[in-house]
Amino acid sequence: MATDADAGPIRSTQLEPYPTDFTSWKFLAWMGPVFLAAFFGLWGVLAGNIPPFPPSASAEEVWQNYHDHRLAIMIGMTVCLSLTACYMAWGVAISQVMQRIEGPNGIWSKVEMMGATITCAPIMTACAIWATAAHEIDSITPQTAHMLYWFGWLLIDLAYLVTSFKIAGCSIVFMRDRRAKKLVPDAVSWWGWVTVASFFVVNAIPFVTTGPLAFNGVISFWIAFFTWFFWIPSMSYFIIKAVDRIKAEDAADGRRID
Amino acid sequence: MDGVWVFIGADSVIFAILFLTFMQDRHADAAVFEASRQTLNADLGGLDTLILLTSSWLVALAVQAVKRDELNRAPRYLLGGVLTGLMFVASKSTEYGQKFAVGITPATDPFYMWYFTLTGIHLAHVLLGTGLLTFAWRRSRQRRFDSGNRAVLECVASFWHLVDLLWIVLFPLLYLMRMAS
Repeated sequence: MATDADAGPIRSTQLEPYPTDFTSWKFLAWMGPVFLAAFFGLWGVLAGNIPPFPPSASAEEVWQNYHDHRLAIMIGMTVCLSLTACYMAWGVAISQVMQRIEGPNGIWSKVEMMGATITCAPIMTACAIWATAAHEIDSITPQTAHMLYWFGWLLIDLAYLVTSFKIAGCSIVFMRDRRAKKLVPDAVSWWGWVTVASFFVVNAIPFVTTGPLAFNGVISFWIAFFTWFFWIPSMSYFIIKAVDRIKAEDAADGRRID
Repeated sequence: MDGVWVFIGADSVIFAILFLTFMQDRHADAAVFEASRQTLNADLGGLDTLILLTSSWLVALAVQAVKRDELNRAPRYLLGGVLTGLMFVASKSTEYGQKFAVGITPATDPFYMWYFTLTGIHLAHVLLGTGLLTFAWRRSRQRRFDSGNRAVLECVASFWHLVDLLWIVLFPLLYLMRMAS
């Protein structure tokens, strides 16, 4: 089956006659590292999710944890909630690069844009849930704190397939790149497949509280999250470079550059 | 297709992390792990090992046949690889069935949580590999591989050898290795 990608790289002369705003494009491409720094530092380290408080903890232990770390959790979750929007902005930058491979009507670039945007929803909502638990900890029961803690984890983990779709889309499109030197090398695309594969096992988290499949386990947390954490900067590096390369391609085609 | 090595390398590292974590948990709960290990059917595990070694050998023969442009032989070897892959799936299903029949599940104890997790993830690899071998078998029947065009076949074969290698580590780790007294 022939695809737009089979025809080779999309040149600027095939696009609409408007100049491309490369400055904004590059700014958005930098939002990937910004998101990762915020998510890792605020959600992970400051709010105490790396490593997660154990899923086997009793309601009283969860309540006490929120009580003891109330301020750190509130700061970590609320600031992370805001900065998660960077993931959406980054997705738009990736999607634009993908369009230069599969064409402006390419379907995977749309999956990337929507996937990155929808990925924000469970992260933001989970952050809001955990921030609420911390904010209200002195007026809620341990059972409610336990429920909110689990609610956040189920939401942030089990919504993984949205992110899987967008990562798979990136891998498919960047592997189809016909440039002599691909905008994103195959190694990153294959790492994307590893990331996609590592997500599936989190389906088990509602059913276990200990062991490798628990939400703090070696598979469901350490492998699933850290393959993603490694994919984000790898992809960001080449997307930031791709913007410059596409700018050079456009200049070579005699297209107006802003 | 060089990027496939990133996938294979990453998969190997992930399994290495799982093996080390398993060993750590085993050390922490030695009595339970040893008691449950003794309830595994080592004969079936041994049979699985023979099946996968045979399968890997057949796939290696298929790659060798393509390298030598012996294009009639390659599909037969690849079909053998597919069938042995399916035999492994059947054997593992039988083993799971035996465990479930006596009430053993991942919730039974930490050992069985690891047993079902490790063998389950490995089984997912076998299913994926068998699907890829089926794809390679169909392409080889269409004469789409030859000595100058075998990158896809070699990628599939490399993945299948990884699946075999992982089992070769898993089998002694789960079925054979006794706790030192």
